[in-house]
Amino acid sequence: MQRLRLCKLSVWDLCEEKMSITVRFKFARKGPVRYLGHLDMLRYFQKAVMRSGIPAKYTEGFHPHQIMSFAYPLGVAMETDGDYMDLELTEEVSPEELSDALNAVMQEGIRICGAARLPEKAPNAMASVAAADYEIHVDGAHPEKLQDVLMTAAVNLMKEEVLLLGKPQEDATSSADHRKKGSKKEKKAKDIRPGILSLTAEEREPVLRMRLLSGSALNVRPADVFSLLAERVPEEELCAVRIIRKEIYGEKDGAFVPLLDMGAEA
Amino acid sequence: MDFSERKLALSHEILMQVEKPSQYTGGELNSVMKKADQVKVRFAMCFPDIYEIGMSHLGMQILYGLMNTYEDVWCERVFSPWKDLDAIMRRDHIPLFALESQDPVKEFDFLGMTLQYEMCYANILQVLDLAGIPFHATERNEEDPIVIGGGPCVYNTEPIAEFFDMFYIGEGEVMYRRLFDLYEECKEKGISRQEFLHKATQIEGIYVPSLYDVEYNEDGTLKSMTPKYEDVPERVRKVLVKDMDASYYPEKPVVPFIRAAQDRAVLEVQRGCIRGCRFCQAGQIYKPVRERNVDTLMKHAEAILQNTGYEEISLSSLSTSDHSGLKELLEELIGECNRRKINISLPSLRIDAFSLDVMNKVQDVKKNSLTFAPEAGSQRMRNVINKGLTQDDILNGATLAFKGGWNKVKLYFMLGLPFEQEDDVRAIAELCNEIAKVYYETVPKDQRNGRVQITASSSFFVPKPFTAFQWAPMDTMEHFLDKASLCKRSVREQLNQKSITYHYHEAGTTIIEGIFARGDRKVAAAIEWAYKDGALFDAWTEQFSYERWIKAFEECGVDYENYIFRERGEDELFPWDYVDCGVKKEWLLNEWRRARQEVTTSNCRDKCSGCGCASYQCGICVKKR
Repeated sequence: MQRLRLCKLSVWDLCEEKMSITVRFKFARKGPVRYLGHLDMLRYFQKAVMRSGIPAKYTEGFHPHQIMSFAYPLGVAMETDGDYMDLELTEEVSPEELSDALNAVMQEGIRICGAARLPEKAPNAMASVAAADYEIHVDGAHPEKLQDVLMTAAVNLMKEEVLLLGKPQEDATSSADHRKKGSKKEKKAKDIRPGILSLTAEEREPVLRMRLLSGSALNVRPADVFSLLAERVPEEELCAVRIIRKEIYGEKDGAFVPLLDMGAEA
Repeated sequence: MDFSERKLALSHEILMQVEKPSQYTGGELNSVMKKADQVKVRFAMCFPDIYEIGMSHLGMQILYGLMNTYEDVWCERVFSPWKDLDAIMRRDHIPLFALESQDPVKEFDFLGMTLQYEMCYANILQVLDLAGIPFHATERNEEDPIVIGGGPCVYNTEPIAEFFDMFYIGEGEVMYRRLFDLYEECKEKGISRQEFLHKATQIEGIYVPSLYDVEYNEDGTLKSMTPKYEDVPERVRKVLVKDMDASYYPEKPVVPFIRAAQDRAVLEVQRGCIRGCRFCQAGQIYKPVRERNVDTLMKHAEAILQNTGYEEISLSSLSTSDHSGLKELLEELIGECNRRKINISLPSLRIDAFSLDVMNKVQDVKKNSLTFAPEAGSQRMRNVINKGLTQDDILNGATLAFKGGWNKVKLYFMLGLPFEQEDDVRAIAELCNEIAKVYYETVPKDQRNGRVQITASSSFFVPKPFTAFQWAPMDTMEHFLDKASLCKRSVREQLNQKSITYHYHEAGTTIIEGIFARGDRKVAAAIEWAYKDGALFDAWTEQFSYERWIKAFEECGVDYENYIFRERGEDELFPWDYVDCGVKKEWLLNEWRRARQEVTTSNCRDKCSGCGCASYQCGICVKKR
């Protein structure tokens, strides 16, 4: 009851507010700073906004905080060339000025690569995510033929019609008791093949590139695709050295559009 | 784009196997990078506990910032690797490294360790072990860094004395420059490590334990401590900052990426305390109280907030309410923080009309609890410990708070204080009950937001060096637990028992802490034994093993009971007597006698009681009262 009432109130408050100004930032993260978790990145950006003097909007109350949201949590160790953060402002500032202000206070390894004002009533970054591109740098037992191994493996994987991820049921046979306990938690094996839109290997370096669905219906993680691929050539002892998210897309008129372009006012 | 590819000491595979890998990768905002070949002194500053604890420590931020203002010095940070990484480093022979350069600690000129609590002693050995530095100062050679200790534990260094080449006694801002100058001079002239250590004893505040001969009486007490050379001082005098406004303060503190225990800007408003509580070591060793003035504080606050982006600022000191400019400071700070949308946190404020008014402005009354630290339940005990807080003060504070809308109160007590009797223990429960009663009398039924919540917790008392209670016997484990259960029973007997929650701290840790606090050089063997048996992170309850430590003392033939359970003689020589911290032993002894007589002593602001610190000629000692 209490909670419901609070929700209603905040919606009401928002309606009374003037037009909201939301800016979408595209950022990159590389190097040692990639070992940060998602919450640490959030806290990092909150502090950076504070230092930059950007006119961020704050919530009311005793503990005001910025109205900031991310498109897609960045896992520990993942690098990115194209992640997104939305921030509400109290006044209009040009995207270039905002980028410059933030870049002036960025730490080693984190850079703002672009900014755009979101149109009124645009969905937030997280709700917009439809797909993402990844680059995986691979190491293996036979470096001299690694590219060939990857190219063949990629082609073969894409030929499969079903790619099940998660524990098949017969795995949990150890004891009836154990099955009971685990039954609720146990994930059903999920077919991720429809979510792999493309998968290729580079000719010149041991690198896999892929475009994966990243929505609420089917969300495919690059590490899962990689482990399915690596499982099929166990003798090669493949391991992912770096995973880089290259871009995040939303869907606009049936096409994938980088999230920053979704923000651009046409 | 310029993405720095700073090298890391740990491989990607290892970083993916350990908890919170970014605690080992450095690169935080305001951390300082220099070129190793362009400095003359490389200083590894270690807090021998995990990153999140160490990074919350103001003293380390001060020294890190200050040393890095010296062009010829590069100070880097080192923390204890958590158990997961510890195991990997041993398995793969990875040497302990500093966060900034990621270079092995063994390559540094100095390894400084800040010793904030006794329960980190096993971690000292972990750091040395992983760094590949011999445990004993006497076994080190020219290749090893100079291992130097600082922090409050240096007011009795003896249990860990043999693990250190030197200790710095006092406040770090003062003498490091001179120490580095001497080091550089010795290095240039090719002077040996031993000779450097000897020369360093000429610097005030520097204590080199290996240059003293220690003798014991048959009963195990200290007989004598004699310098090996004529020019080595018999007593080492604490050094301190005389002018807090002129002294260095870190306006660009390192901001951790991961959430540290203290995730906020810290403004140290003053150093020292006027109160003179007889159980409190900090109250004595940081004397005399020295304030920063409001202008200095506002300048620091603005700069720190600008340079860090913190969303909260905390006022820090032993007793912030005693700052003479607090009212003015808070007015200015609240204005500035409202403008910047920054929260203010106000620990260690005495509860009165003024502080409640301030807290009302900066905190959400409904969410926050108020904290009182009466330390003892009865007025008699509060007189014994010289805690200048009366029952009326507490009840009046509570009345005001309840009227102001608070209904959560936290109370801190100690059990096992000297001269404590059963009635004093029961008085803890009775005081809680009185506070609950005040709530039900003050707040009309229709305005109550449920029951009042009173949370009382008690720790067990540890007598510390340089306090009036340094002569006092400590309670045994049995006594501690009896008292705790008596207190618990008494709480249950109170009329308002349903409003009171009572907790007590672990007793085993207290006993071991007591041994370290007042032990002598004989204790070192047991620390080494316990470490080799697996003792590590003893400050973490789930890592601590009382049985292991007791076994360590027994195995090493250390009569540990002799350090804690007996009342010490008035003319006994203490292992820490070689330190001159300003406060005279005769004055402390007089305080010990007054405690027995239940007589209180005035605080430094009301009247000087002649403790001896006036010899420093600074702070409140030279202020007109």
